[in-house]
Amino acid sequence: MLADYIDGSMDPRLREELDAHLAKCEPCMAFTKTFRTTCEGTRKLREAIAYAIPDEVSERLEAFVRTAALKYPEKMREYRDQVERDRREKVADLVSAATAGNLSSAAALLMESHCAACPECREYFDAVRTTGASRADDPPAGIRSHLIALMQALPPGEELFLA
Amino acid sequence: MSAERWKDDEALLESLRKGAPGAVDELLRLYQGKIFNLAMSILKNESDAEEAAQDVFMTVIRKTDTFQGNSAFYSWIYRICVNTCLMRLRGKRRNETVSIEEFMPVFTDEGMHASPMDDWSKEVERDALNEELGQMIRRFTEELSEKYRVVFVLSDVEGLSNEETAKILGLTVPAIKSRLHRARLYLREQLSRYLLEGKAG
Repeated sequence: MLADYIDGSMDPRLREELDAHLAKCEPCMAFTKTFRTTCEGTRKLREAIAYAIPDEVSERLEAFVRTAALKYPEKMREYRDQVERDRREKVADLVSAATAGNLSSAAALLMESHCAACPECREYFDAVRTTGASRADDPPAGIRSHLIALMQALPPGEELFLA
Repeated sequence: MSAERWKDDEALLESLRKGAPGAVDELLRLYQGKIFNLAMSILKNESDAEEAAQDVFMTVIRKTDTFQGNSAFYSWIYRICVNTCLMRLRGKRRNETVSIEEFMPVFTDEGMHASPMDDWSKEVERDALNEELGQMIRRFTEELSEKYRVVFVLSDVEGLSNEETAKILGLTVPAIKSRLHRARLYLREQLSRYLLEGKAG
């Protein structure tokens, strides 16, 4: 109620009543005045109340943020590159396991049904099997994306390769 | 909040997103003081506040791309700061704070103020509105629990509206009003004791 009175959002009739009381009641008047002074004083002294950032903290903070901001895009690129490398490795492992017959039964089943429906992958694996493992290192992008999808389709908890 | 600040923020956000040279400097120039103040008022420790400020700026830089713009940029930064600091605080709860109830006005059965009430408003307006009183006020707020302190700092020191403060803290406007009011009542009482008895409560 006092807050509404001070900031002027109080109902005018109620305000009138309160004004009348305040005029007669010294302690209440003193309270209201000092409360108002507290609020106004706070506003005026804002800068003194705020914690000023010490120069040396400011310098350290600026140096830290500037360097980190510069490194950030680089870090992101490194991270993406790493993810990409991991993925390529996994695809290569999958291809060699498939040609060597080292896939788990769940993965073998997925591979079989995929190759039955996908002439591209079928041809690719036929070629790898006849020409040897060297081609397994880096399958073409289309095949790669199929194989990634295949790995993701493996139910959780199922292994990709034979133990 | 002033239109000026809005425009500054819009331009800043745009240049941060583009990775424009000087964008990070501008971010620091506009916000490091505010972030440090807010972090200090929650953590009450300079090295904690410094680390928190580092985290805040890194989060801001990392997330400008995904910032939706459905709230103002500055209130987004404040929110990141509040969250960062509260997380840190949770890690080590050690603050002893006063009970705000001790500082609320007490009334007699007849509805009169139970303790004598002196009017020191004139003296303050005349002589005491100085840096020293500001530091006194800061010391008093340090004794409050952070739920009142954060609201006080955002509203009365940073000058945000109750609506903005509510959004930043994820509270309702009535909750903000009530906390702010109690913090101010507490301050009035502390100032009374300080000015009349010449010592802090």
